[in-house]
Amino acid sequence: MRFTDYIETSFSNLWKMKLRTFLTTFGVVIGIGALVSMFAFGKGMQNNVTSTFNELGLFNYISVFPRSAERNQNNSDHYDPDDQGYIPPAKDINQPVRILDEDFVKELSAIEGVEAAFPEIRFPAMVRFNDKENFEMIQALPAQISKTGFIKLREGSFFDSDEENSVLISDSMLRNMGIKDAKSVIGKKLEISTLAFELSIESLPNILSFLQGKGLPFSSKNYQFTISGVMELTGMSGPIAMRTNILIPAGISEKMKKIQITSISDIFQSIGQPQGYSMVGIKLKDPKYIDSVKKWVEDSGFNTFALIDQLEEIKRMFIFMDLFFFAIAMIAITVASLGIVNTLVMSILERYREIGIMKAVGASNGDIKKIFLFEAGLIGFLGGVFGLALGWIVSTIINLIANQILSGQGVPHMSYFSFPLWLCLGSITFSILISLLAGIYPTIRASKVDPVVALRHD
Amino acid sequence: MNPEYFVETNSLSKIYSSGKIEIAALRDVNITVKESSFLGITGTSGSGKSTLMNLLGGLDTPTSGNIKVQGKEISKFDPGELALYRRFQVGMIFQSFNLLPSYSALENVAFPLLFADVLKAERIKRAEEILDKVGLLARKNHRPSELSGGEQQRVAIARALINNPRLLLADEPTGNLDSKTSMQIVQALSELNKNHGLTIIMISHEQDLLNEFADDNIHLRDGAIANKNEMTSEQ
Ligand SMILES: Nc1ncnc2c1ncn2[C@@H]1O[C@H](COP(=O)(O)OP(=O)(O)O)[C@@H](O)[C@H]1O
Ligand SMILES: [Mg+2]
Repeated sequence: MRFTDYIETSFSNLWKMKLRTFLTTFGVVIGIGALVSMFAFGKGMQNNVTSTFNELGLFNYISVFPRSAERNQNNSDHYDPDDQGYIPPAKDINQPVRILDEDFVKELSAIEGVEAAFPEIRFPAMVRFNDKENFEMIQALPAQISKTGFIKLREGSFFDSDEENSVLISDSMLRNMGIKDAKSVIGKKLEISTLAFELSIESLPNILSFLQGKGLPFSSKNYQFTISGVMELTGMSGPIAMRTNILIPAGISEKMKKIQITSISDIFQSIGQPQGYSMVGIKLKDPKYIDSVKKWVEDSGFNTFALIDQLEEIKRMFIFMDLFFFAIAMIAITVASLGIVNTLVMSILERYREIGIMKAVGASNGDIKKIFLFEAGLIGFLGGVFGLALGWIVSTIINLIANQILSGQGVPHMSYFSFPLWLCLGSITFSILISLLAGIYPTIRASKVDPVVALRHD
Repeated sequence: MNPEYFVETNSLSKIYSSGKIEIAALRDVNITVKESSFLGITGTSGSGKSTLMNLLGGLDTPTSGNIKVQGKEISKFDPGELALYRRFQVGMIFQSFNLLPSYSALENVAFPLLFADVLKAERIKRAEEILDKVGLLARKNHRPSELSGGEQQRVAIARALINNPRLLLADEPTGNLDSKTSMQIVQALSELNKNHGLTIIMISHEQDLLNEFADDNIHLRDGAIANKNEMTSEQ
């Protein structure tokens, strides 16, 4: 038999039992539809994560922090800035501690592949704007670094110099304050009140009053800023270093009286310790320098954190997610393939005499196997194509609804599903393969029909 | 074995075993058929006529003994060779016609060509030619259910002959037909035998028809060939 004959024959055979073919194929459509939309979701989420990382240049980014600030002895590479309230372990006295100071930052800047190195300065402060007062973590950043792609501006502009009294605020802060129009806040005034420990000789009265239970050894100072731009916080949490609502120029920050803090541990660190930055950020020219720069920094006695390392873990997580989805979809597909087995076995029983006739007029066992296998494959092909279509339609609808709901909560519009070519072609191929697999048993049965029995006159 | 015979069997036996019971459908059957001759087979129901026919047609394999057709020992063929034998060497017709009910007359006749790798246009052309020969070209688009018994059997004959076999096996082809139609069918077969040199082996209950058209007759009883005396005494 010719290939076209197989296709024509199986088409016309399936057409003769339209309803059964439809129902069987529909089972496959559901299974493949589920598989496709789940994979599309997994792939879509993965794309969102990767593209956000890429967009923000996070793969080019290494954070450096002192060994003494280790949060986790067992897992020193993984620094979690959210892990606040953790009290650092007692320090290893034998190990000399290098300080993250300006000299080190300069040294870093000179290494091959480093585009820029800058201290990450954070401190808590009270922010007054629009008659409202909020406690915020303030982030200081050199002006030239702010423009390297970490931050996307919705409105306004970056700082021009490190010395100007400008501030960038996040759109989520505006949203929390109920301000819709980002443009309207550009040029407005904003006041930052800092807190500082008074541990110097001059502040002795403060300490004494603290010890007498009359108040904390803090002093407070107010600074005036002008809003120069509104930052966009992405749907994902954004870069860790930049996860802040308020960004000010580094030069100004140095002049402010404040506690530098990234976590509670810094409070302890700042008492009676050689001063230094609590964290330094490195922006690389290319992610390929990650390993060499990381090694250099670690050899110099510091800990590093690079998001690209996390990406591997995230990717592993996505593989598990895909496997989980695959397992669920496979249940549907198993049911569908049992449907195919059932349909074909029924069809063989009904076409018993026809198979006998085929053999009598010279069909080989192989011919008969192929005829039934083509029917199975055709069900698989149709199920795959329509399943893909169903998956696409369902995903599109879910995507629309999800975006509708989430946009009300300020999450930017995203594609939660992705349909790469390999998924489209792969799902159809997979459907055909599964159907052929389901067709194996019925096919062998068909070829074993005894023509003498099938043709007997009764 | 004598090479001058077109079909020849030697101690041909077929034993069916269902469970512990063994049924000898054929026992040491020796027949010889010359090329372009017409052999008639008679016998009571269950005497093994169809069993013999299926063995000759390559649909079944013997328990022992052998079959030679055109000098080839088909009883030694593997399933693939048997399929080719059925496809090109032999045509078969049956009492119940065995047409595909959902196919038109033309599609039924063209059906065997599907397995012979013939292109569709050629399949249709050849099927139309042969339908014309059995006088049913005008009915080519009719389903078997829309045709009379005689017409259906003619379609079956056309299908059996589409691959130009040299041997036609007919298992009670007139069993479902009235006597007038039966006569027409056997006449048509006889015409193929006389004018085209087709070798025919036909099973029938109607001794009169066989007497008129067959060159030779054998009678089966309990799976074995009965002698002429027994045959006549039974009549
Ligand atoms: N597949 C089979 N299994 C068991 N017994 C069979 C089978 N086919 C035929 N027989 C038996 O073999 C004998 C001969 O059958 P058959 O050749 O069909 O007879 P006929 O065609 O002369 O009526 C019968 O007794 C029948 O029951
Ligand atoms: Mg019979």
